[in-house]
Amino acid sequence: MTVLDTLNNCVIRLKNISKYFVVGDSVVKALNNVSFSILKNDYIAIMGPSGSGKSTLMNLIGCLDTPSEGQIFIENEDISNLSESELAYVRNKKIGFVFQQFNLLPKLNALENVMTPLIYSNDISVFERRELAEESLIKVGLKDRMKHKPTELSGGQKQRVAIARALVTDPSLVLADEPTGALDSKTGLQIMDMFTQLNEEGRTIVVVTHSDDVGMSCNEIIRIRDGQIEIHK
Amino acid sequence: MVIENIKLAFKSLFANKLRTLLSLLGIVIGVMAVVAILTLGQSASKSITSSLDSAGTSLISLYVRRNTDGIFTRTFGDELIEKIDGIDSVIPLNSSNVKIRYKKEYSNFQLYGTDSDWNQIMSYEVDIGTWFSENENMNKRQVIVLGNTIATDLFNGENPIGKYVTLYRGNAGKSYQVIGVMKEKDGSLSMSYNDSVYIPYNTYVQRYLKVNAVSLYSIKVAEGFDTVAVSDKIETYLNSLTESRNFTLFSSATFVQIADEITGTFSTFLAAIAGISLLVGGIGIMNIMLVSVAERTREIGIRKALGASPRVIRGQFLTEAIALTMVGAFIGVVFGILLSKVLSDIVGWELYLSYTAFVIAAGFSIIIGVFFGWYPARKAAKLNPIDALSYE
Repeated sequence: MTVLDTLNNCVIRLKNISKYFVVGDSVVKALNNVSFSILKNDYIAIMGPSGSGKSTLMNLIGCLDTPSEGQIFIENEDISNLSESELAYVRNKKIGFVFQQFNLLPKLNALENVMTPLIYSNDISVFERRELAEESLIKVGLKDRMKHKPTELSGGQKQRVAIARALVTDPSLVLADEPTGALDSKTGLQIMDMFTQLNEEGRTIVVVTHSDDVGMSCNEIIRIRDGQIEIHK
Repeated sequence: MVIENIKLAFKSLFANKLRTLLSLLGIVIGVMAVVAILTLGQSASKSITSSLDSAGTSLISLYVRRNTDGIFTRTFGDELIEKIDGIDSVIPLNSSNVKIRYKKEYSNFQLYGTDSDWNQIMSYEVDIGTWFSENENMNKRQVIVLGNTIATDLFNGENPIGKYVTLYRGNAGKSYQVIGVMKEKDGSLSMSYNDSVYIPYNTYVQRYLKVNAVSLYSIKVAEGFDTVAVSDKIETYLNSLTESRNFTLFSSATFVQIADEITGTFSTFLAAIAGISLLVGGIGIMNIMLVSVAERTREIGIRKALGASPRVIRGQFLTEAIALTMVGAFIGVVFGILLSKVLSDIVGWELYLSYTAFVIAAGFSIIIGVFFGWYPARKAAKLNPIDALSYE
């Protein structure tokens, strides 16, 4: 594989990333000169103990934050210095989030929840939104739960709605933050199976976790400790 | 996006019905007060206008107290038309207090002698029969038209047309044939139409008037001319003719103008005071929007993570604030109309809905929604998505 091929294949590329936080008088270095790439169809676990910089890394990959130093490329577009609304655009088009606490909007039903990201991409008609959202919910096996509010769904079902919402925009990257953290182990396994299946279908997936079981489901593990990559295998 | 924002806004307003209603109270009361005050102001002004207007606002009455310099003659009307722009016609009127008799005798009726087109100018309509013609006037015919009340009193259900009544001058009576009965008409300040009888001017002059002096000219202002301005011109002209000031010019238009000014100033003043309660209402809106933003921090974080730009979030909360005030304005307008209806019924005015008031109230509410919604919306838009997502 040539360098150019690798570049074209790159979903996310981090180049010498550092992130500092000012806490009172002192500066905390959450990430220190981190570089790595995520390629198309990767299935990567980012692991590490609390305070390792794992969450900071996830926020950067998810375009929720910008680095203090270094560059981040998403599909070869430098996003390190984008404004907040430009970042919002990138998040909408390229990233699908799955959170530990599901983060569904409680007043909306499953279908409306899945449609929400499409509202923010201005180029999709109301009719298309509904169609895409229904398709996405069918894909995660919730065809008969579309009109249910989050409170009427089990934890596993909620997480599947969240996955449907992450997939509905056809993102370049699905970013899951402790996706099994709020689920019992059996349901957690089902969710991880779903991620594995999605990866086999060609999705690029990054899972942030501190659970070894979850990490083992992935094809690759990046371990973070004290703001640096410890092991990359 | 706009449609989604409006849907979202109403969804969130309906989710907290009681809270929404309470926070709307200020706006509702403010709008209700503004609408009621402006509507009642307009109704008051209209009802004053219409009571003065029974003679028409294009009429000027020139009352002659004493014909000192001998200028107020039969032909003076033609002189006025010639000298002053904007006069359509001038009709002379003289009156006496008379006794009238048909089977029974009645005293103390007002007899008017006037021209054949006077009733038209006064918009005074014939009920049965006819008003007298110019021909009857020229030929000094002994015909008479009766006011509605008089006709009823004298004839008591009989058909008066063609019957003869006797008019007295002193003890000398003369017969007049009844040719018409007028419809009822509300009186003006100087005249009681229904209790009067009318004969042709020339007939009147021959029998009741010793000198050539008219006691009242009804001056009709031509279309397109301002009654008050024409009245002023007539006054100037009269002052140039005589220093005696033995005349009075009156037009209901002058009164209407003054009444309009008074009610207008008064209701603007009151509406401005009511506007203050709108302002207080706006503060209520801001308060509830700040609460709403704080409560929904996590929702804002989720929406931002899903790709909502700060502008979109700001739009969402601004829409909500505007929707809130618009709902308040709508309720306020409805209650304002009801309040005006109740009050105008009590006072006895006819209700004229002030559409200006609706527009002012609705426009003001949008402005208040934007003004007091802006800060909370901006606050929501500026939230950091990472912090907002971890907000419990």
